[in-house]
Amino acid sequence: MKVDKDLIEKYHRQECTAEETEAVEQWLFSGESDEALQLPAGEDKAKHKAGLWKEISSILPEEDDLSGTAATAGTSAHIKRYLTIPGFWTGTIAASVALVLVAFTFYHFGGSGQSGDQFVSVDNHSAVDIRHIRSADYDISVGPNTKGLIDRNSGTIDLSGSMVITPSRDVELTFGQGHEKITFKTGETYIVLNDLDGKGRIIIVNERNLTDLPPVIQKQIINQFKI
Amino acid sequence: MLPTAKNLNFLLTLLFTASIFFSSCSDKGKDDEPGDKAYSIYILGKDGREWITPADSLSGGIIYPERQGAPLNIREIDRDIIVRNGFYYRLNWKNKRFYKYRLAGGAFEKTDSVTLKDFSIENFRWLGGDTLLLTGLKTPDFAEVRYFLLKASDLTLISQGSMDIARPSGRFSSMSIGFAEPKGDKLLLGYTYHQQLGGSDYTTSDTTYITALKYPEMSALETQKEFRSTYPAGINTVQSYTFYDEQGDFYFMSCPGIALGNRPDVHTGIFRIRKNALQTDPDYFFDISASRINNHAYGLWYLGNGQAIIRSERKDLYKGLGDHYSTAHFEFYLLDLKAQTVKKLDLPLDKGTRRECVIVDKGIAYIAVNSTKEGNFVWLYDISKGTLRKGLQLAGETDFIMRIDRLH
Repeated sequence: MKVDKDLIEKYHRQECTAEETEAVEQWLFSGESDEALQLPAGEDKAKHKAGLWKEISSILPEEDDLSGTAATAGTSAHIKRYLTIPGFWTGTIAASVALVLVAFTFYHFGGSGQSGDQFVSVDNHSAVDIRHIRSADYDISVGPNTKGLIDRNSGTIDLSGSMVITPSRDVELTFGQGHEKITFKTGETYIVLNDLDGKGRIIIVNERNLTDLPPVIQKQIINQFKI
Repeated sequence: MLPTAKNLNFLLTLLFTASIFFSSCSDKGKDDEPGDKAYSIYILGKDGREWITPADSLSGGIIYPERQGAPLNIREIDRDIIVRNGFYYRLNWKNKRFYKYRLAGGAFEKTDSVTLKDFSIENFRWLGGDTLLLTGLKTPDFAEVRYFLLKASDLTLISQGSMDIARPSGRFSSMSIGFAEPKGDKLLLGYTYHQQLGGSDYTTSDTTYITALKYPEMSALETQKEFRSTYPAGINTVQSYTFYDEQGDFYFMSCPGIALGNRPDVHTGIFRIRKNALQTDPDYFFDISASRINNHAYGLWYLGNGQAIIRSERKDLYKGLGDHYSTAHFEFYLLDLKAQTVKKLDLPLDKGTRRECVIVDKGIAYIAVNSTKEGNFVWLYDISKGTLRKGLQLAGETDFIMRIDRLH
């Protein structure tokens, strides 16, 4: 099946059939360049490809099955034992992974930068399964029924739902616009989830302090993320 | 030959020196055995480090955990522990092993362990001697009630299996066990069910279930549905929610507040199960939320003579679950269980959502309070006089007193 702009937009609107979805995702994560993109004569395709991926790899995740890779060693957390951040979730997703890829493609090959290319969506529409995402800086397991949006310029993550973050180096992330940066330490595993008050507030807790959460949430996290 | 004065003087000097030597040796020996001390204090430090520090007394003085405490491996230890007769017990939910620890020479060291496969502890109960009943749920789905019966001395398993309790069904997907209490040849199990509402949100059934199981077969005999409140008691490795009075009647508190049941519309209350009964007393319900406390509470400790202490939250002071732990908003109330009256104890606001923070010993209730303004102290409530005073201070790197226990 040919993956073109129309199909990608259809994918973004979640109107694809299972077969179309599979085709788009195969295209997205195959690592192969798109034959539809014709480079000017004399240009080295491999060089462009490497440059493109280098540019986006710091924030743009590549789908990967990370089950069972939770880190267990490293320094103790700099993060406070139990952190909370006021609400911010706006309810609007700016772009899907697919459109960001297209935007980057246009930016690099077409030279027409677009305002949406700083956002990466990490939505998980499944009611049961976890979505595993790996980037250069951290691994993320996105919980069921979760909407997430990463602003790569500001290091800001908007979240509605739950995720588990395991940094591969010390990273500073902000949850919600205008809030303080939080240091996520190498080798630690953090659980990030919405508060129960319905106001979108965020709770961040180190995995080893799971006891600080209500037991029912502990059970849901252990059951969902298999940590 | 009689000793000369000079010889006698020499002999006495020798004896005196020897007595000092042996005395200092024995003192040193005592200091080297922190596990012999009466109390154990679990401290969370300001930088995330944790210690367990032993103490001879909670009545006064000052302890710096970073100097006097045994440092804990925070990747292995948490405060959900069982403390008894100088030993500590904890299930490591990551590696499925149940460890026995002790304090020795300033260190917190493992002495033994046993594998408890696919298990999460909800409740522990000593059954006479060193027999320990652990009741919990099968992991990772938390939908099947399981138990392990073991000898604490050497952690040998006596028996294990499933209990005849209905799995969550319909809209419910997990459950919580609040208590598992022996009643002759029966075991009473209090529990409820939970519904996931999407994301991390959840709610709890409006019903408390109490099933009488035939012991040791663990087959169900009868189940009571109690509708007056929900989320009976709680995980007692972290905090106490039950007690027996002098008549052998059993009391437990329900915890529907945001921190446990997340059914804030339901009232927190105290139930009674008479000594020879298998169901709650229909004539007894101490409605805590309807009292002047007008809030939910978590944590219940018996003082004797029909009096108890509870730890209640202040919903006007915290914003949500996220700051429930870090904001000082907890108050302690003295309850008269018969008259069903409450009296606020004049203590600073306390912080930490669930904590084992009260010990009752020889007419004194020792209450550990983490005050944002006044620091971390153990307060002494004289039960007969009704007076309060500050006792032991936890200073230095102390952020939270997470639990206080009788070690011996």
